[in-house]
Amino acid sequence: MPEKIKILYVDDEPENLVGFKAALRLDYQILTAVNVPQAIGFLNEHPGIRIIFCDQRMPGKTGVDFFEEIRISHPLPVRIMLTAYTDVESIIDAINKGNIFRFVKKPWTEADIIWAIAEADKFYMANSMLAVKNDELQKAYNELNKFAYSVSHDIRGPLSGILGAINLARLIDDVEEMRELLFLMEKSVVKLDTYVLSMHDYYSLQRGELKITEINFNEIIDELIAIHTISSIPNNVTFKTSVKQDEVFLNDVAPLKLIISNLLSNAFKYLDKTKTDKSVELNIEVKKGIATIYITDNGIGILESHLGEIFNLFFRSNSLEVGSGFGLYNVKSALVKLNGNIEVNSVLHQGTTFKVTIPSI
Amino acid sequence: MMNIEFSFIIIDDSELDRYVTQKFLERTDGGLIIKTFSNATAALEMIREDQCEECKTPIIILLDLQMPVMNGYNFVEEFEKFHPKVQKNYMIIVLTVLSSTSDPNDIHRILTHPVVNSVIEKPLTKEKLITLLAQVRSNI
Repeated sequence: MPEKIKILYVDDEPENLVGFKAALRLDYQILTAVNVPQAIGFLNEHPGIRIIFCDQRMPGKTGVDFFEEIRISHPLPVRIMLTAYTDVESIIDAINKGNIFRFVKKPWTEADIIWAIAEADKFYMANSMLAVKNDELQKAYNELNKFAYSVSHDIRGPLSGILGAINLARLIDDVEEMRELLFLMEKSVVKLDTYVLSMHDYYSLQRGELKITEINFNEIIDELIAIHTISSIPNNVTFKTSVKQDEVFLNDVAPLKLIISNLLSNAFKYLDKTKTDKSVELNIEVKKGIATIYITDNGIGILESHLGEIFNLFFRSNSLEVGSGFGLYNVKSALVKLNGNIEVNSVLHQGTTFKVTIPSI
Repeated sequence: MMNIEFSFIIIDDSELDRYVTQKFLERTDGGLIIKTFSNATAALEMIREDQCEECKTPIIILLDLQMPVMNGYNFVEEFEKFHPKVQKNYMIIVLTVLSSTSDPNDIHRILTHPVVNSVIEKPLTKEKLITLLAQVRSNI
């Protein structure tokens, strides 16, 4: 059963409050206050109050005064005025100053109140949805801003580098020098290509539904070994893997591969080139419906002050190996989609371990 | 081209850009002393320690703006903390990708620093380099 709508009723006559509560308490959660300070106390204690009924004629403060007072401090609840007097002056005041949604004439009937509550609740929900959508829009807009920056830096940067190289190439006669230049140009092109590919990952993660299948981690690992031995053998890296899976694991294979593959690429990319015993390890264990994945390297490590930021879009911790700033952000987005979790443990110059846990769906 | 009595420091996170700039400079004058840095922090460190003994002053710093960890703007701010005696040995020339998305105020802002001599748009060409060297010579 959905939670009852929380309603506050303010009236200086206790018998009115009792009558109101008695008639409505079965279907709604009713809070009653005999004066304005008590009402404000309730509003502070119960941020979930959706609708406020208030009597206009009260000693000290009128209903309009009360609504005007809480206009800024409690803007969310929908306001309904109860009044026996139909003097135009106070109605105009109520609408202009008190932000009133509706009037209910006293003495009220239960039907009037229920109708008013239903309408007010619809209004409240519409407003809340609008606020949520506004937040989402703002987030999307912020990301778009970052994108504009990234396009200029990560796409135009390599392109202008290649253009500069072409300008230089026109002056070069020596074949060896030309080869050296071509080698560096190729690296820039590959980087650009990787960037475009991960941008594609980024979009497919943001949209798209999950495609659930049975996951065989051994198959995934075989594929990843094939990809990563290309970089591990020539660089003299020990690459160890292990899988323990005796149960069925259901999930979407695409984001799963993306997570493991990105973390492995990073492990290889940020190895310490000065070390002779370079190693990367991948261990996967599936137990009680949860896959736990460890990716460990003895590479250059991550600065402690950077650990909190590595999952942010376009964050780059290192200037030697130039990344796009997409990788770990995509990992994090994929994990959010799969309801998974990631922890990182890193010591500078000693290495990094990522621990990923993903539940079977 | 006649012998030029100054040295260069190239600060750029892109390996290709460093290579291209360096080769362009070497083609202009084979005798130039050129140091390259992939990050601004290491370059600052060298300037602080005054490790470039063989460098002939003035030393021209060719500085990229968009770099991870420490960008060009931060580099200029840090550089200005050096003693004026150190600063006067250097001249900073910004070498960067300009685009409609990079805020023109930023480019303007970097030029308000007296240590920044000028801004050159990437990609580098022989013509831009010749103009640059002429300008540096007229400033010495």
